[in-house]
Amino acid sequence: MGKPNVKKAKMHLAKLRQLTSKKKTSLSEMTEEEVINTMRKTREEIWDKKLAGRP
Amino acid sequence: MLVVLDSNEYIFAFGISKKPTSEKLLDIIIDSFPKHSIRIPRMIVDEVSRHLTPEEFKEFIEFIVNLTVIDEDFFVPFELGARYELKGLKPADACIAAYVEWTGAEALVTENRHFLKRSLNFPFKILTAEDCLKIIKPY
Repeated sequence: MGKPNVKKAKMHLAKLRQLTSKKKTSLSEMTEEEVINTMRKTREEIWDKKLAGRP
Repeated sequence: MLVVLDSNEYIFAFGISKKPTSEKLLDIIIDSFPKHSIRIPRMIVDEVSRHLTPEEFKEFIEFIVNLTVIDEDFFVPFELGARYELKGLKPADACIAAYVEWTGAEALVTENRHFLKRSLNFPFKILTAEDCLKIIKPY
């Protein structure tokens, strides 16, 4: 990382929120609990993939 | 206060799924930087990225790298993760817990109940965004 640039970070966060607000995804239709469970599953999948890639 | 935000907090804070407390927490952290700051491991970047479009991903990475560094998972000593597995966490969660300890962060902010119910005897706090908002001072 270079020097932290809060102004730029804020600008990209605003853009990101603007983009996500425009679209409907499976996550946006889920309840809070379902989102949490989906993210747990995502973690497990990524972990399994990382383990499978180890020599 | 240095914190690590779990992937679910980013999903909520970016508005992909609405949760005002997570959005507010991220805003306060940024507005009060460097009094409050974040660290993030590669694993959480990967988890969040999986739910973003390429355009959103670009903004996410730009957002992160202007605030902090992305730490590679292999920086964290394996033994540290094993210790958290012995405390009952799943291997992937143990890796995140080990990362939080390794960074010296004061808290892991998450909505993941598996973390929240095993938070005793950890050298850092495990907080929901709502709880974190109660103790974090904006300025």
